[in-house]
Amino acid sequence: MREITLSQAVNEAIAEEMRRDPTTFVMGEDVAEAGTPFKVLSGLVSEFGTQRVIDTPISEPGFVGMAVGAAMTGARPIVDLMFGDFIYLVMDQLCNQAAKQHYMSGGKLSVPMVLRTNLGATRRSAAQHSQSLQALVAHIPGLKVAMPSSAYEAKGLMKTAIRDNNPVVIFEDKLMYQDKAPVPEEEFLIPFGVANIKREGHDITLIGTSSMVQVAEKAAEILAAEGISAEVIDPRTIVPLDEEMLINSVKKTSRAIVIDEGHQSYGVTAEIASRLNEKAFYHLDAPVLRMGAMDVPVPFSPALEDVTVPTPEGVAENARKLCAGRMIHAA
Amino acid sequence: MPLDVIMPALGMAQDTGVIVRWLKAPGDAVAEGDALFEVETDKATMEVEAQGAGYLTGVVAEVGAEVPVGQTIAHISKTPEDAASAPEGTARTPDAAKASDSDATPVGEQVIMPALGMAQDTGLIVVWRKEPGAPVLATDILFEVETDKSTVEVEAGHDGFVAALLAEAGEEVPVGDVIALISAQKPDAPVSRSIKDGASVVAEPAPVAGHPAPKAEKPSTGPTAKAQDGRILASPKVRRLALERGLDLARLVKAGHPQPYHVKDLELLIMLPAATDPTTVSAGAARHLTADVPSDAFAAFAIWAADEAGMSDVSALLAGLAAASLGKGDITVAVETFGKAYNYAVSGRRLGAVTNADKDAMPDLRLRDLRNARLSAVQMGAEEIPVLSIMAAGDGLMLTLECSAEHLSALDAITFLTDFAGRMEQPLRHLL
Repeated sequence: MREITLSQAVNEAIAEEMRRDPTTFVMGEDVAEAGTPFKVLSGLVSEFGTQRVIDTPISEPGFVGMAVGAAMTGARPIVDLMFGDFIYLVMDQLCNQAAKQHYMSGGKLSVPMVLRTNLGATRRSAAQHSQSLQALVAHIPGLKVAMPSSAYEAKGLMKTAIRDNNPVVIFEDKLMYQDKAPVPEEEFLIPFGVANIKREGHDITLIGTSSMVQVAEKAAEILAAEGISAEVIDPRTIVPLDEEMLINSVKKTSRAIVIDEGHQSYGVTAEIASRLNEKAFYHLDAPVLRMGAMDVPVPFSPALEDVTVPTPEGVAENARKLCAGRMIHAA
Repeated sequence: MPLDVIMPALGMAQDTGVIVRWLKAPGDAVAEGDALFEVETDKATMEVEAQGAGYLTGVVAEVGAEVPVGQTIAHISKTPEDAASAPEGTARTPDAAKASDSDATPVGEQVIMPALGMAQDTGLIVVWRKEPGAPVLATDILFEVETDKSTVEVEAGHDGFVAALLAEAGEEVPVGDVIALISAQKPDAPVSRSIKDGASVVAEPAPVAGHPAPKAEKPSTGPTAKAQDGRILASPKVRRLALERGLDLARLVKAGHPQPYHVKDLELLIMLPAATDPTTVSAGAARHLTADVPSDAFAAFAIWAADEAGMSDVSALLAGLAAASLGKGDITVAVETFGKAYNYAVSGRRLGAVTNADKDAMPDLRLRDLRNARLSAVQMGAEEIPVLSIMAAGDGLMLTLECSAEHLSALDAITFLTDFAGRMEQPLRHLL
């Protein structure tokens, strides 16, 4: 199978859906000629023109609000938010308007819009351009949240997001845009709420989101060499969440570590770990561990930044402790 | 204050241990639970864990050294350079804690209740061999202690005078508790009192500083974790599995196995000898039923069957009657008579159809024909299958059924024995 970058996969998904549905359009800062700072949307403007690939002023609340209105009145906007950190600027448009219109209108209105943005530290972008804020969005009923872990997921999830009649936020890891993965030429979609077992194992379940799937896979390699068999699962969407697959895996392995690049406190990892505690309690032989980013602003110093995020070695070390029956936190 | 690492007592009859190798070097950082060294006893080689965190210092026992049990062989200190003097080489218990007790307890070297077995929580003091105030040598027998397995003489471990006996003969004392003090000077007012008399001296520093992984210890000195309220620390899964399999995690606590417990610890729990656990006795509650048959009509029936029907194997007849009474369809019955066992396959109620079965077959019912034995009653306890015993009693027979609750419900057991008694009283009824 051909291999393409995650950036190309997103570009293909949007182009295919724009060809398929004339009501689909792209809007955001530097999306047309510039093709975004990460060059993800390069070439779209030459095929679809500036009527459907629209550069906006630097006003996130303005253009996201416009997209919500456009979606309510029959279009399928794809809004590009240059950095995930800017989501703070559009919380009202996203959480109060987009998420609630269907409910507030008694089902008469829907908001079929996609907000694509990014997450991820270790790009030396400092504290205001390095955050992973998916937990903020996942907390709000009415919003769906997809977190692709490779080019394959990026394409399949984007196409599903564009066709979904609800507001969907897609977080891409900005460090993965140039990562290649096998992606079929023929059309495919990845349904929401269906997790993917990346690697089978029977001693411990490693649940990772986005680039943390790679971290989990590398940890599984380290552990395999030591005789510990780790199962790696990518939920692919955290809203909706494929609870059943996660619970079944934990029933098999009796142990789990949940890894996400958002801050650890009150985060995605806490939510997933809590559900496993509630629904697989009598199958747990060890506490379910959370591994998120440190609860600090992401440092600019490379040396400091690198230690704030989960690493394969860190995951493997915790997995070893859990499998050995060691106390993680004294009780 | 640095922790002492002592040569642990790993076996009943162990006086010394040989250091096979050190797993940490002097100055190494040590975490609680880290394996410190390997020790070889007369029975096995074991890894011994550190009881606390710090740095390994003051190592005095080299690889290959044979060290008396209880002797301090290293320290675990707060800093790698800690200049704590190397431990002295003669102490049976760690160096002198000056027991300062408001209750006029004299000062002296502490003697603790030793851990002599793997699964020992307490020891019973059988007798003190020395009077309070008496002079003792380190090698003198100070007292005798009885564990669940045997009685052992214990040496004083220190030269001096018996300054205090803190428990009386006949008292049971938790392992590790201080039970005597030996002073260097002749004490003015030697003490002798009961362990119950308040202010028991708590050994310090922790007398058992080196921790072999599976070793008897007070629950309160658990090396990794402990619950204050007596709750057992165990994972949800191991609790569920223990419940489902009828296993008692408290037995692991008794055996001194460190908490918390996980699924892998069940293997050890299953291997623990069941005899130490009173719950297994009650769990295997045996059913014991007897029935009297006033007249032995069966003997006459057997003669008739041999003469008239050519069925000369009395055991086969008994197997057929018993199987019919049990009413569980085709079964294999083992009949024991004159010390030999024969297996019979019974299908249907025709006595002529009872056939010899493979002697290795697993029987469903055992029938002991003890009519010729000089026994008047049996109470053997439940075996792996229900057992029916037949004994002579006067002119009649005495029938005994023994089984466990899992084999037969109370009603089934009663029905079975009643039916069998009826058939033995009037065997011809079986033919009708």
